[in-house]
Amino acid sequence: MLDAQSYFDRISGDLSGDVKARAVALAAAEAAGLPTRRQEAWHYTDVARLLSKATHDTLHNIDFAPLNPLMAVFDNGRLLAAPQASGVAVSPFHHDGATADNAVLNYNAALAQDGLTAEISGDLAQPLIVTTQGDAPVHLHHKITLAPQAKAVLVDNHMSRDYTNARFDIALGAGAELTLIRVQQAGHQIGTSEIMLAEGAQIKTVALVTGGALARHEANVAFTARGAHAELHSAVLGRGENHADFTYLIDHQAADTSSNTSAYNVLDAAARGVFQGKIIVRKDAQHVDAQMQTRAMMLSEGAEMDAKPELEIYADDVACAHGSAIGELDKDALFFLRSRGLGEASARYLLVAGFIEQVLAHIDNDAMADALRALVAQKIAAQFSVQGDA
Amino acid sequence: MSALLNIDNLQAGIDGTPILNGLSLSIQPGEVHAIMGPNGSGKSTLSYVLSGKDGYEVSGGDMMFEGQSLADMAPEERAIAGLFLAFQYPLEIPGVTNMTFLKTSLNAILRGRGEDEMDAASFLRLAREKSRALGMNDEMLKRQLNVGFSGGEKKRNEILQMAMLEPKLAILDETDSGLDIDALKTVAEGLNALRAPDRGMLVITHYQRLLDFIKPDVVHVMAAGRIVKSGGPELALELEKSGYAEYVGETVNA
Repeated sequence: MLDAQSYFDRISGDLSGDVKARAVALAAAEAAGLPTRRQEAWHYTDVARLLSKATHDTLHNIDFAPLNPLMAVFDNGRLLAAPQASGVAVSPFHHDGATADNAVLNYNAALAQDGLTAEISGDLAQPLIVTTQGDAPVHLHHKITLAPQAKAVLVDNHMSRDYTNARFDIALGAGAELTLIRVQQAGHQIGTSEIMLAEGAQIKTVALVTGGALARHEANVAFTARGAHAELHSAVLGRGENHADFTYLIDHQAADTSSNTSAYNVLDAAARGVFQGKIIVRKDAQHVDAQMQTRAMMLSEGAEMDAKPELEIYADDVACAHGSAIGELDKDALFFLRSRGLGEASARYLLVAGFIEQVLAHIDNDAMADALRALVAQKIAAQFSVQGDA
Repeated sequence: MSALLNIDNLQAGIDGTPILNGLSLSIQPGEVHAIMGPNGSGKSTLSYVLSGKDGYEVSGGDMMFEGQSLADMAPEERAIAGLFLAFQYPLEIPGVTNMTFLKTSLNAILRGRGEDEMDAASFLRLAREKSRALGMNDEMLKRQLNVGFSGGEKKRNEILQMAMLEPKLAILDETDSGLDIDALKTVAEGLNALRAPDRGMLVITHYQRLLDFIKPDVVHVMAAGRIVKSGGPELALELEKSGYAEYVGETVNA
């Protein structure tokens, strides 16, 4: 595991911002240590054990070229070149090292070397792709702000083979709309997204995890004013000893806000999927509509899915529901497809691809969805040793 | 002329429970046979055993398709050989469009027969032509397979698959169930259009009403896992009047 103090000493000369404040944050992080299973939010994700596991997943280049994207590539923790486009104002990375209430964020506060600080205004036609690549442990802190009425597509493309502690602060102004696509194929990542939604702001997150020994994706969404809406959809294609954990805090602080959350997990071999979704509806947040569902397709007896939806409701006029369905591959569906001439492997391929497609279908941009479909097709084909016909 | 399907003294069951108890039946190319019988007589089991569903064990007898034994063939091999089962309850496959499914299926069968796969443009043309003939619009091809389809749409979709795959023998398992009269007519018209001198059909039904629209050459009565009576189309009318009581009774006493 990373020796944070000596690492800090080594990089502190290069760190921007208030180094003293960062040292305080580091001390707080070191005192608490990385989360353990004794903490409720980490009960199903044993960080120390998972960090000790090697990751063997193949990294595929996702073909974003047809989208003509703006690129922000972080190579071993450093931004190679700032994206340049009208409507995107990029500021130099600056960190005040402010101490947070948990060790993951404190390590990030202490050690973040870089991050994308960007304010987006207007309707950004090109998607903005933040790629994290390399083979060294990195801490990144991104701050993405959408001005009122701005529209953008942001991609968090995780391609690192090593440990990443990434924090995204995402703030949407009134009426702003953000589509956030996340992909993790390998490595160890603990990611935290702090999402703030102003009046009428809408965020749609579609996350895809196809590998990695540790993929912890935490999102805390604050609905601060009426009309805010969030969709949080995730798909996991896990095999080997992949571990994917989506943990959400969906905090409806204002009336007339809504959220729709879905988690689809396909788990083979000894893969493990974790979903923890907590919906809070505050006292005066009337007419909140919050829906949450978890689905898992278990392909092996050694795989495990832990789903923990929670509702905490303090308002009395709300519509909140959650559901969970965990099952095996549908044998009747398999027979149906085979009776139509598909070999068993092709039939399994189609059923798994169809399962994941239910998440990818939330992506409005066809070229973007196709780029992820191609990745999913490669992963499933490798898993079942078949060529996709679809 | 060799039979398209020849079932001889077939015994089969599930989980050690015998369901088919010495069933015999022979279908020639071009013939339409109907099997009628009370609930629990083994009609659906017969369709699953013929098409190779997991879990059904054949413990005796033969089922020969164009002189080839079906018993050891995988479901997909039977489909490639020209067998087709129209399901009583067509399955919903979320996330897979009807179009993708049809293309994957047709190409798998063409490949299995050693023929060239169909290119995208020809496939699209064919799928549109066949679906329009069944009164299905292009939108139904783009939808997820059977998801949110009405009972009638699902059954029409089964007939569309049959029209695309052009099987030698189609087994229709309670294709009339859950259909109103208009949907039944559409489905029956689709099936009649698929009648051909080299194609056989085995129509499994509880009620006579489907047979008003699809005239069978031979009607069989099934009870307790075997054929207890065979005759012409008039047998179906007779059953409609008198019911199955006499056949159920007979087998209980046998």
